[in-house]
Amino acid sequence: MKPRLFCLSLLLVLAPLACEKPFAAPVPPPSQASPPALTKAEAIGVVQAFADDPGIAAALAPRQAEIKATFDQPLCQCPKGLFRGRNGEENLLGYWVTDTMRARASQLLGKPVRFAMTNSGGLRANLSAGQLKVADIYGVMPFENELVTIELTGQEVMDAVKQGVLHRGGEPTSGVRFTLSGTAENPVYAFIWEDGTPIQPGEAVLAATTDYLYNGGDSIPTLKKGRHPFTTGLALRQVLLDACAALAKADQPLLAPHTGRYTIPADLYTAAREHKLGK
Amino acid sequence: MSLERRQFLAALGAAAASQMPLRAAESSTAARITLLHTNDTHSHIDPFGPGNGAASGKGGIARRATLVKQVRAGIPNVLLLDAGDTFQGTPYFNQYKGKLDYELMSKVGYDASTLGNHDFDNGVDMLLEAMAFASFPFLNCNFDCKGAPALGQRLRPWMVKQFPTFKVGLTGVGVDFKGLVSPENHKGVDWRSPEEALRPVVRHLRDVEKVDLVVLLSHLGYDQKGDAIDDLHLPALVPGIDAIIGGHSHTFLDQPTELQQERGITHVFQVGWGGINLGRMDFAMAKGQVRAASGRPIPVSA
Repeated sequence: MKPRLFCLSLLLVLAPLACEKPFAAPVPPPSQASPPALTKAEAIGVVQAFADDPGIAAALAPRQAEIKATFDQPLCQCPKGLFRGRNGEENLLGYWVTDTMRARASQLLGKPVRFAMTNSGGLRANLSAGQLKVADIYGVMPFENELVTIELTGQEVMDAVKQGVLHRGGEPTSGVRFTLSGTAENPVYAFIWEDGTPIQPGEAVLAATTDYLYNGGDSIPTLKKGRHPFTTGLALRQVLLDACAALAKADQPLLAPHTGRYTIPADLYTAAREHKLGK
Repeated sequence: MSLERRQFLAALGAAAASQMPLRAAESSTAARITLLHTNDTHSHIDPFGPGNGAASGKGGIARRATLVKQVRAGIPNVLLLDAGDTFQGTPYFNQYKGKLDYELMSKVGYDASTLGNHDFDNGVDMLLEAMAFASFPFLNCNFDCKGAPALGQRLRPWMVKQFPTFKVGLTGVGVDFKGLVSPENHKGVDWRSPEEALRPVVRHLRDVEKVDLVVLLSHLGYDQKGDAIDDLHLPALVPGIDAIIGGHSHTFLDQPTELQQERGITHVFQVGWGGINLGRMDFAMAKGQVRAASGRPIPVSA
């Protein structure tokens, strides 16, 4: 199968440009003094097709096979896909990632981890509907980020969520329900735990995040304040792979978490994305 | 490349040559150079698969190699360059940690590259391990590598490519690590202002090395909307750069943006990302000055 692409390419022709900016020397002889009429730019139809270079293809072939063997391995089914959301839609993929981080961290620590947060910028692809493969999880999380647990106060949890709203209209979190109301100039930020109980500013909770955010990446400075960091040594990607493998083993599909974690009116979402939301 | 296209290019070359008298002693093609370039290839070694919108079926380093060979076969003076962010984006990177990218780029015949923020994704030590597979130099003049001397040795602030009748000066700049690279991953490497770092380098290339063309490999981004220095604002701050081969912002340009500065025009180009396009810029020079320039992206299609 060879799609033939017909590209209309605007080609700036060197010659007429040269005519417009004549050289100081040498002066062309009088017989050549009047330049031929040339258009400044010419639209030409170009049919371009390039076969693989045999040398590169040969060098690549064993690596392609190795990648295919590793990354084509099947995981669970994802019947409806899992998406990051666009234009203010909730980031359900991010919700699943943070739920998974929280569950794994709770399991590792043997204690409830009440909050998890990652950055939407670190989730690089959606999960399309169908059979998930190892490569799909690498597509979502290509980075070598590590799962880290920290201790935060309730106030710091709220600050981190708010920073995510101000920075990007809301970053993926697990454990908290957030509502934005009021106006762009005078917004009202409201936070509760997912079970409906109020967040006490002074209460100490365990939280899961990534080493990237804990080290100050992506403008969520409050996460840097986390105390008693536990670097799990587990790549976030491995945590996601393990979760999918567990679903496959239990013959269960990967389904999207419920919506309703972030409630942000469209106008306030736009204001947040344009960094015009009051603090 | 189709026959029609080859014939067209040949005709173009002839037309251009006949219209561009250069220094008497030089042959008509002597002071012309073609810059081929990529940016932000992000380990897209294979072509994009279906379901990738306009990128579907495009790219792939084996095809890019064919395209580069075809151009090189028809033109004597060609440089193949990259503006950084070679790493991160496909399982190839996770598996081979950038070594395969640099190995293949070396085989394709890259003349120089620079470093983007994602090239630090596995830290300085693993970047160095991958760089051992690159047979081309890495250009950067605004990373202070005092705390990472091994990387400092591998980076060159600038270089001069000598052609039979002219010289091309090349340098590179990288984007601020802040918020993009975790401090642990650029340990020992400090970012310095690109304009401050570039000024003496460009002056040296122009006034001491007396190059005919100054080319900057930039991983600053095309337009940072005032948040940070970018390719659109750099030329006015550092006059004397003829071409900026840009990256970082994944900007698809149809042709180079021409910006007037004190010492001439800077041609700023960037061709998206993922190896979807190969950029091509052509320059004709005389007496150390650019006399004509053009540029366009070539889609890497099968």
